[in-house]
Amino acid sequence: MLTAPKELLNESACDHHTNKKTACNRPTPGATTGGCAFEGAQISLFPYAEAAHIVHGPITCLGASWETRATPTSFSGRDLTQVGLTTAISENDVIFGGEKRLSASIDEAMHTFNPKAIFIYSTCVTALIGDDIDAICREKAQQYGLPIVPVHAPGFIGSKNFGSRLAGEAVLEHLIGTLEPESTAPYEINLIGEYNVTGDMWRYLPVLEKIGIKVRATLSGDGRIDAIRTAHRAGLNVIVCAQSLVTLTRKMQERYGIPWVSVSFYGQRDTSEAIRTIVRAFGDAALIDRAEAVITEEEAKLSKQLEPIRTRLAGKKAVLNTGGNKAWSFASALQDIGLKVVATAVGKSTEADRAKAREYLGEEGVLMTKPAVEQPKVIADTQADILLAGGRSLYTALKKKIAFVDVNQEKKVSYGGYDGLVAFGEDVIAALDNPVFKVANREAPWRH
Amino acid sequence: MEALTVNPTRLSAPMGAMLAFLGVKHCMPLIHGAQGCASFSKVFFTRHFHDPIPVQTTALSDISAVLGGGDEIVTEAIGNILAKVTPDLVGLISTGLTETKGDDLRSIAAALTQKSVWVSTPDYIGGLQSGWAAATEALITQLVQPCMSVTQKVAILPHASMTPIEVEDLKALVESFGFEAVALPDLSESMDGHLGEKQATMTQGGVSIQAISQLGESCAVVAIGRSMLSAARLLAAKNPAMKTIALDHIGGLGATDRLIGELMALSSDDRSDRAVPASVKRWRARLQDMLLDSHFTLGKARIVLALEADQAVSIAALLSEAGAKCTLITPTDEGGYEKSSLSPFRVGDLWDVEQIKEPWDLIICGSHGEALAHRMGRKHLEMGFPQWERLGGQLESAQLYHGSARFLATVANKIAH
Ligand code: SF4
Repeated sequence: MLTAPKELLNESACDHHTNKKTACNRPTPGATTGGCAFEGAQISLFPYAEAAHIVHGPITCLGASWETRATPTSFSGRDLTQVGLTTAISENDVIFGGEKRLSASIDEAMHTFNPKAIFIYSTCVTALIGDDIDAICREKAQQYGLPIVPVHAPGFIGSKNFGSRLAGEAVLEHLIGTLEPESTAPYEINLIGEYNVTGDMWRYLPVLEKIGIKVRATLSGDGRIDAIRTAHRAGLNVIVCAQSLVTLTRKMQERYGIPWVSVSFYGQRDTSEAIRTIVRAFGDAALIDRAEAVITEEEAKLSKQLEPIRTRLAGKKAVLNTGGNKAWSFASALQDIGLKVVATAVGKSTEADRAKAREYLGEEGVLMTKPAVEQPKVIADTQADILLAGGRSLYTALKKKIAFVDVNQEKKVSYGGYDGLVAFGEDVIAALDNPVFKVANREAPWRH
Repeated sequence: MEALTVNPTRLSAPMGAMLAFLGVKHCMPLIHGAQGCASFSKVFFTRHFHDPIPVQTTALSDISAVLGGGDEIVTEAIGNILAKVTPDLVGLISTGLTETKGDDLRSIAAALTQKSVWVSTPDYIGGLQSGWAAATEALITQLVQPCMSVTQKVAILPHASMTPIEVEDLKALVESFGFEAVALPDLSESMDGHLGEKQATMTQGGVSIQAISQLGESCAVVAIGRSMLSAARLLAAKNPAMKTIALDHIGGLGATDRLIGELMALSSDDRSDRAVPASVKRWRARLQDMLLDSHFTLGKARIVLALEADQAVSIAALLSEAGAKCTLITPTDEGGYEKSSLSPFRVGDLWDVEQIKEPWDLIICGSHGEALAHRMGRKHLEMGFPQWERLGGQLESAQLYHGSARFLATVANKIAH
C-alpha cells in the first residue's frame, strides 16, 4: 500500500481537516517532529499482551522502540507487549523479497510463544518492495486457526495519529465481530484508545463498575483478543482521548449500530463529566441516578484527599505549555488541585480545543500561540510560580527562577481518574518545594 | 530462532551515524527517510542521555517516497532548517527506505550550497557501531585536507560505545604526553550532560569542522575498536607521515600498558619513563591492587556481556584479567572478533542470552537486560545502549587504568551484594 486510502484521509471526524491546512497532509521536510504511522499502530495495538507483534522491516523500526511503553496488563502469561519481535530483514531480503523470512518468523513465533493472535506490521522498506503480507497472513491464519492480522501502516504513509487510525481499521476488518460472546450484560462498553499507560484505566474502572458499567473489550489497554473479537456486542463505544479512532467507532455504528462518545478521565472535572456522558448515552434513569450518587461520593472523598494539597497550592499560579487537547485537559487537572492556570499554549490546538481552553481559563487567561517566544514574558507579567512544559522549556524556568515540571517526562505513576489527581498534586508540590531550580542556576564564583 | 529476531540489542546504522554527528560542533543531523526513523532515534537518545537531541528528517510521505530522486526534498529540508538555525554542518544520513528507492546522496550533497557530509547507512545492514564508523569515515573522506608534514597533533577515533568521559580521559592522557589531542567524533563536550548557556537547537560542543579539516597534520591516529580500523586507514592515507596506532580496546591493565607504550614511543622522550605522568603511574598501581582485591569475587563470576562488539571485547578483557568468565553476545561483528575471541563469542539477541545453557550470575547490557535478569533471577548492570533507567552513564569509564580500577570495583560489588 503506497498511498493512503482516500476515504481515511478525508475522514470528517478529523478535527484538523477543516481548520488547518497542513495537519493531515504532507509533513514538512526539515521541520517535522513526531512519530510515523508505524509508531501510531504500535502504540494502539502493542498493549494486547497475549498477542505476538512482529515488525516486518529492518532493525530501525523495532530496535529503538521495543519495551519503551509502560502499559501494564493483568494477563498472567508472558507479557508479549514487552517482547520485541522483528524480521530484521537483511540486504538479501530487500533484493529477493522478505516474504520467506516473514512466514518462517510467524512459524517460530507460533511455536515459541503460542500467542492468541499475531499482528504483522508492515514498515517503509517492506511496503516499498511490495511483500504480499496479506497473502501470508491469510495462509498462516488458516494453518494455525487463529487471527493473524496484517497492519498496513508503513512510516511514510503518515503521522502517528494516522497510523493509529489504520490500526483501528485492521482491528475492525480482522477481529471485531469474529466471535460471539457466551453472555452479555446490560451496560457494556468498549474502551477505545485507552492504552492503560502506567495503569491509568485501573484508576477509574472500579468507579465504573460500582455504577454497574462493564467493559466488554478494549483497544487496547489490558486488552484481550477474544474480548475485542466480541466488541460488536457492546452497547456503547467510549473513545478515551483519541480522536484518531473516531473512524473506527463511526464504522462500528454503521455496521453494528453501536453509538459512541468521546471522553477524558483526566482530573476530577473530566472524570465526572466522562461518567455522565457514558450513562446518558445509555439513557437509563436508574443508571443515571446511580452514577450521580457515585460521583457525589467520589468527589467528596477526593475533595478530602485534596484538601491539604489545595491549601498548599492556594494562590499559586501556573503556566502550561503543552500541545493539542492537553491545552485544556491538563489545565482542568491543574485547576482541580487548586492552581490558578494563567496561561496555556494553543499553537497546535484545533479550534475546538482553543474554545475549550478559553472556557477553562476564563477571560483573563492567556492563550499563547507562540509559546516559545511568549512564555518568558507571560511568566514575568503574571508572576507565575511554576511552569509545566516539555523539556525544551527548562531553560526558561531556570532563567525566571521558577519551579518546573516536565510534562513529557515519562510518568512512573498514573495521574488518571479521581485519585490520580492526588499523585499529580504531590508531584507538583514536590517541584514547587524543590530548591534545585534556584541552586542549579547559581552564578559561578568567577562570574561575580 | 532462524528467521525471527527476538528482543534485539541491535540498533540501526542510521542511529549510529546520527550519534557520530552529535559529536561534531554546530551540526544538524538530517535523516533522509520517513519521519519515524528520526523520531524514534531522537526519543531513544534523549532518554539515554537525559538531554535534548537535535535531529531533523526529510519526512518522506507516500508520494515523495516513491517518486523523485530525493534531491528536491533534501534541499527543501535544508531550507527549512536554515530558516531556524545556522549549522556549520548538516550530516546527511540515508535510511533503508531511501537506499531501496535508489536516492543518490553523493550527487544530492554535491549540489547543495549548505556545507554537508553524507553517509550511506541502509538500516538492513550493520548496526550502531558500523553506522558510527561509516559517518566517521565520511567526515574524514569529505572534510580532511591532505597534508605532507606533521605536527604534535594526535587524532583519536573512539568507537561508538565510548562514553563522553572515556573520550575526555583518553584525550587528557594523550595530552599529558605533550600532544594536542583531537577526537573524531567527540561526544565529550556535546553529550556529556552539561548545563549550557541556553537551550541547544543544534550540537553545541564537539569537534569543529575546522579541526576536522586539519586532522591531516596529525603525527599519529589512535583508533579504538576494530570498527574504527578503516576510518584510521582513511585518515592515515591523507598523510604518508602519519603513524597508525590501532587498538582493539583500552580496557584493563594489559591494553592500557600497550597504549602507554605506544604513546611513549611516539613522544620524543623515547622509552624513558620520564614521559609518563606521575598520576598515570599512581593509577596503574591502584589498578594492580584492585585486580588483586576483586579477584576473590570476580574469579568465580560468570558474566554475560550483551553490548556492541567493540565495547563487549573491552569489558571482557578487563574482567578476564581478574579471572571472570565472560560470554559475549553482540548485535553485530563487523570486526571478526568471533574468530579471535578467547571467551565464548557469538552474534545474537537477548533471546540467545535466555538460551545460554551454562549458569551465569550477571548480565552487563543496556536497559533491556533488566526484565530478562528479573525473569531469570540474575543480576543486571546497566551499560551500553540504552541506559534509560540509570543516571550518569555518560560520566563513567571502564577503560584506562583509573576507569578499569573503578569498574572492577563496581562489578565485584554488584556480584557480592
Ligand atoms: S519511518 Fe518507516 S523505517 Fe522509519 S521507523 Fe517508521 S516505519 Fe520504520
